[in-house]
Amino acid sequence: MNQALLVAKNLSRRKLRTLLMLVAIFIAFFLYGALECFDHAFHASETAAAADRLVTVNRINFTMPLPINYADRVRQVAGVKDVTYQSWFGGYYQDPKVPLFMFAVEPASYLAVYPAIQMAPEQRKAWLSNHTALAVGKKTAAQYNWKVGDRIPIKSNIYSRKDGAAAWEFDIAAIFSDPDETARENLVLMRFDNFNEAVTFGRDQVNMLVFSTSSNKLNDSVAKAVDALFANSEAETTTDTAAAFNRAFAAQLGNIALIVTLVVATAFAAILMIVGNTLVMSVRERTREIGVLKTLGFRGSTILSQILAESLLLAILGALLGLLVAAGAVAVVGRNIAGFGDTMRMTSGIFVGGLGWAVLLGLVTGAIPAWSAMRLQIAVALGRK
Amino acid sequence: MSTLVSQVTAIAAMNIKSIPQRLWMSLSTVVAIALVVAVLLAFLAMGNGFRQAQASAGAADIAILLRDGAQTEINSAVTREQADLVEEGPGIAREDGRALVSAELYVIVDGVSRSSHLRANLPLRGLPLAGVDLRHNVRIASGRMFRPGTAEIVVGRSVTREFEGFDLGKTLRLGQSVWTIVGVFEDGGTVRESELWGDVGVVQSVFKRQNFFQTIRVRLQSAASLPALKAYVDNDPRLKLVVETEAEYFAEQAKQSGDLIQKLGWPLAIIMAIGALAGALNTMYSSVASRSTEIATLRAIGFGRIPTFAGTLAEALALAALGGVVGVIAATLLFQGYTASTLSANFTQVVFTFKVTPALCVSALVLALVVGVIGGIFPALRAARQPIVGMLGEQ
Repeated sequence: MNQALLVAKNLSRRKLRTLLMLVAIFIAFFLYGALECFDHAFHASETAAAADRLVTVNRINFTMPLPINYADRVRQVAGVKDVTYQSWFGGYYQDPKVPLFMFAVEPASYLAVYPAIQMAPEQRKAWLSNHTALAVGKKTAAQYNWKVGDRIPIKSNIYSRKDGAAAWEFDIAAIFSDPDETARENLVLMRFDNFNEAVTFGRDQVNMLVFSTSSNKLNDSVAKAVDALFANSEAETTTDTAAAFNRAFAAQLGNIALIVTLVVATAFAAILMIVGNTLVMSVRERTREIGVLKTLGFRGSTILSQILAESLLLAILGALLGLLVAAGAVAVVGRNIAGFGDTMRMTSGIFVGGLGWAVLLGLVTGAIPAWSAMRLQIAVALGRK
Repeated sequence: MSTLVSQVTAIAAMNIKSIPQRLWMSLSTVVAIALVVAVLLAFLAMGNGFRQAQASAGAADIAILLRDGAQTEINSAVTREQADLVEEGPGIAREDGRALVSAELYVIVDGVSRSSHLRANLPLRGLPLAGVDLRHNVRIASGRMFRPGTAEIVVGRSVTREFEGFDLGKTLRLGQSVWTIVGVFEDGGTVRESELWGDVGVVQSVFKRQNFFQTIRVRLQSAASLPALKAYVDNDPRLKLVVETEAEYFAEQAKQSGDLIQKLGWPLAIIMAIGALAGALNTMYSSVASRSTEIATLRAIGFGRIPTFAGTLAEALALAALGGVVGVIAATLLFQGYTASTLSANFTQVVFTFKVTPALCVSALVLALVVGVIGGIFPALRAARQPIVGMLGEQ
């Protein structure tokens, strides 16, 4: 108890100084928390993708088309369970600068490949039966305030209609959620048959096939078998796991992980300098007191642990505050950025990792002053001004 | 007045000269500020580099025509008939009776990044040789230009540098076709250096898009002839196209992501600056505390409050300025010319280099000095308000 009291007294002897150190630590851990959460959300599609899901695209590039009949041929490959296909529609609602995450899909097979998608049975039935039906992820539905039964015009910046109409009229048939991959709740899904009948070009062509395997142990061999099937054909393919495909896509935007690491490392380097030096100074000011404590019989190791406790307490307190505020901030920001939603949240891994860094910071910044205080000789301590 | 000035100079000089006595605390402030400045400058240079790569690619006397509502080349579509109609338009420069027009096809192919070893989108542009001439600054750096009617391509310098397998003389397999890389071109580091170019007819037939283009580029007689061409296109119902100068088109492309990068940089730097500010305040308060006897002595022998205040502020500003300069130098050494790539609005990779400019350095230095002013002002007030007797008596 006495030890704790001494630590508390030491920290509160110059309140402003302790407060400023806490602010510096708080800032660094706030940045760590916020940026790591952003990075995590950015890569969420890689980790969330089901392990038994594969993606087949044109070998030249995934924007190149594949013939729709490839789906039937892939279905015959041993180890393939369910196959679906999709085409990027380039859709937007009213503002061409704000794209929708919209695909033309075949509903029944789509739901088979993505079994985690949840929609009310009557909505599901409506989407499966009505030609102009649209299934909308609940986040996008909330964003545009769309309700089941609404009729909405959507334009495409890629496809035009044979009948010359500028907009495509859709009936919102279903609003769905996907607890496994919440990013999917941003999608807008039109029916492929509707797409295929109306377009002036691109008929019977799809952007990608998505399929599940009967076991993820078969992924490699199935992928090879699928690509071999279309080798030397008009449209050769590349098949990869959905996770790997998503990783390559995310990497195209830039090396976000590297940027996050550099910024966080910079912030940590700055507080290491600030807190480390301030602690050295603060212990130096107490030289005489430490001499007195030693005269009273306090052992060197006790003094060492007291100073380490002080630096640890400071680091952990600052880190906790920083991480908690970061958790609140990312939750608010995540709700307001389309495409992120609740993938942007403080995970236990990031939180515990932050506390780990805090302990390390506390030990490193406390090490030099604690060591020199332990080694301090009474005569020197009492003699120093 | 002159006494005041000389007092301020004297105390400021004394404080700054005594910084080495508080070496480690002062150093920590300098380093913290330098780090903040370096991070800010890195983001600003990244945003600026991205913007420059696109903005500097556009010419004012070249017009680009896209399908109405397409906004980007990749989403655009133009038919052969439309291309022929455009050639008849007014305001277009002609040579030997031929309109200087280039109808181009733009498709996306895979490249493998040298750094991440992952597949990335690269644009393959099919264009006629006349189209090459519409790019004023392009020149062949090695090899030669592609020959029309052959499966030859030339690649931008950035493509060769950042992606595997695009070196001069290599072959490239796209579907069933095999292309030979016969040249590498450069264009002053613009977005064009991230493209592959081949003959438009060959690209059309290999990708089965006969009689189909994405964009039309034309050389205008002068920048002033744009309205005439615009009016011509608007009046023909078969031409549902948008006409703008290449400069306008690229400026719009550049704005979107370039702005985003810089908008991320500032809040990040300001948050970090608050941390550095806490360090600066600590340093300056401890500086005032350690100089309390000295300050009281100076006051006792006739120095005023204002010089005492200004002297402490000057110390803080000196530390901040030093940190700022160190940060600017470090960021310039580390990031000037650093190459990165990201996905453009055209859904393809744009390779760009970080560009640190004097103007960006000034904004970064301003942030450092703001930290210095705030970090100095409160400790300076404390120094100025110190009671003389108490301080001298305390020791």
